[in-house]
Amino acid sequence: MYQYNGEEIFVIDGHVHLWDATEENIKHQGGEEFIQCFYDYHTTFTPEERQWSIDEYRRYGADRMVEDLFGNAAADMAIFQPTYLTDFYTEGFNTTEQNAELATEHPERFVLNGTFDPRDGDEGLEYLEELHDEYRIPGVKLYTAEWRGDSKGWRLDDEEAFEFLEKCSELGIENIHAHKGPTIRPLNRDAFDVADIDDAASSFPELNFVVEHVGLPRLDDFCWIAAQENNVYGGLAVAAPFAQNRPGKFSEIMSELLWWLGEDRILFGSDYALWNPDWLVEEVVEAELTQEDRIEYGVEWDLETKRKVMGENAADLYDIDIEEKRRAFREDEISLQFDLEDHYASEEPAPADD
Amino acid sequence: MSARTSDGPTRAAVRDRLDRVTDPELDRSIVALEYIDAIEIDGGHVTVHLTLPTAWCSPAFAWMMAVDARDEVESLPTVETARIALHDHMHETEINRGVNERLTFAAAFPDADGDVDAVRSELDDTARVARQYDAVETLLDAGLDADAIVDFRLRDLEEDELVPDRQFESDGDASETVAVSVRDRAFAVVVPAAPLARYLEKARETELVANPADVLFRTPEGDPIDAETFDLVHRRGRLATVSMSSQGGICDGLREAREGRLEGTAND
Repeated sequence: MYQYNGEEIFVIDGHVHLWDATEENIKHQGGEEFIQCFYDYHTTFTPEERQWSIDEYRRYGADRMVEDLFGNAAADMAIFQPTYLTDFYTEGFNTTEQNAELATEHPERFVLNGTFDPRDGDEGLEYLEELHDEYRIPGVKLYTAEWRGDSKGWRLDDEEAFEFLEKCSELGIENIHAHKGPTIRPLNRDAFDVADIDDAASSFPELNFVVEHVGLPRLDDFCWIAAQENNVYGGLAVAAPFAQNRPGKFSEIMSELLWWLGEDRILFGSDYALWNPDWLVEEVVEAELTQEDRIEYGVEWDLETKRKVMGENAADLYDIDIEEKRRAFREDEISLQFDLEDHYASEEPAPADD
Repeated sequence: MSARTSDGPTRAAVRDRLDRVTDPELDRSIVALEYIDAIEIDGGHVTVHLTLPTAWCSPAFAWMMAVDARDEVESLPTVETARIALHDHMHETEINRGVNERLTFAAAFPDADGDVDAVRSELDDTARVARQYDAVETLLDAGLDADAIVDFRLRDLEEDELVPDRQFESDGDASETVAVSVRDRAFAVVVPAAPLARYLEKARETELVANPADVLFRTPEGDPIDAETFDLVHRRGRLATVSMSSQGGICDGLREAREGRLEGTAND
């Protein structure tokens, strides 16, 4: 938990990966371009002394991931969001099955999401059921710009995509995370257009649509859609590290999000290993809105808002009982490994309004 | 360095033309963004060297900037041909060849789905909405209210004073002013000209405002604004400015990271 002015903030990192971009796993030039592009984002928004080498970045492995996420208790839990890219990487970039190896080792700490791709047709529907049966996935991460053969992407408002959303609804897979964000070489920008979220969200009010990267560079389209569809959420990955080296911009983006979506529909995510929560959580929690933005937008980035964005909103979507987790983490394997028993031992009275 | 070579344009004139070319995603001048590496002038032949923040900047955007740069420079009467040399881009070969041989985007990129027009007009709309925000802020600062602002027509501006020229760059000379008539010319206010000129340029480009009776300010969808929804529309304009400048932050950062890496390599 992050200690903020003597108060504890339970942090659920809503967006993490355990990827393999080693040269042996790359089967298409796009795979190399993709990881190089990620690395550019990494170096651009990571403090110089915390930057990784490209070799570390290609594959960091489960042990390092656990330490980076939980070692200093910057994050208390994390949600795996798979990215398959099987046209680029022989074994995939990070698939549900690969993420599951670590997630099932520490089920108390990780939420494991699956995926679907409507271009896979009936086979894809079966695969989604398999993921549900095998792992009880509570959500999916969708990558609408993923290449598949000649296809360079798909849309969430396609008829085929609706079949899959119906299946999600039927199986109780409620949380639909869609990557809608910055161009990633070599994927084409238009496949990250946020417009398709609108129709999907209004057609499936029982599902929650989390737009990762808050639609950047189309923050305007995203906020306008989210303002009208109350089952649309914003994932902060990519926007979050602005706090570190573009604090004025972070203040503006956060003010816009709070004004259009309110404090209940914004979710923190590091996009690990793009950025590392062991410094990013601090940057985001300690960030301040400028006086000018606070007056202009009439919003606050205060303790209550931080608690919601950093953990409580994700807990609501994923039915996580934060108090129960705090108790469980006094003696779970990870707390023992990193000597965090005392960290979770404090008896904090439940908030008065609960 | 001599400013003028025989028969050719001055470097300043070329630069001035290039200053009119914007990065379509950021709506900022490619000169101000420091994308221009060098300008070579050989009589009436001009070569413009440019580098974008990342090697994988959208090929469509790179294409638009290269074509616009070529056309702006060639609009100078002293220029016979303008060549573009884009450097360090994934698709520099296709783009340089396509732009210099005057191909269409679709011919230069047979794999792409058609032309760049749809993307361009979508980006132009965002730029228009953001520029409207700045123009409306100027009018609000001058004491005008929502009712007056949503009512403005093109004829209410002293248009002659708003020739679309980069002398009105947003960071340019703030002392230029323009008179705006209010309530059927009942009275006029004098406001800074740059934000209005910049808005008008984009409103014309997107073909929303052409005739004297046309309503000047619009919703993002292009409709006239109801006074009751004025605040919300203005909020959306603010949002468009934040959206574009956030992407600008990403591009700046990527460019710094890239320059840092190139320096690092050079020092090795």
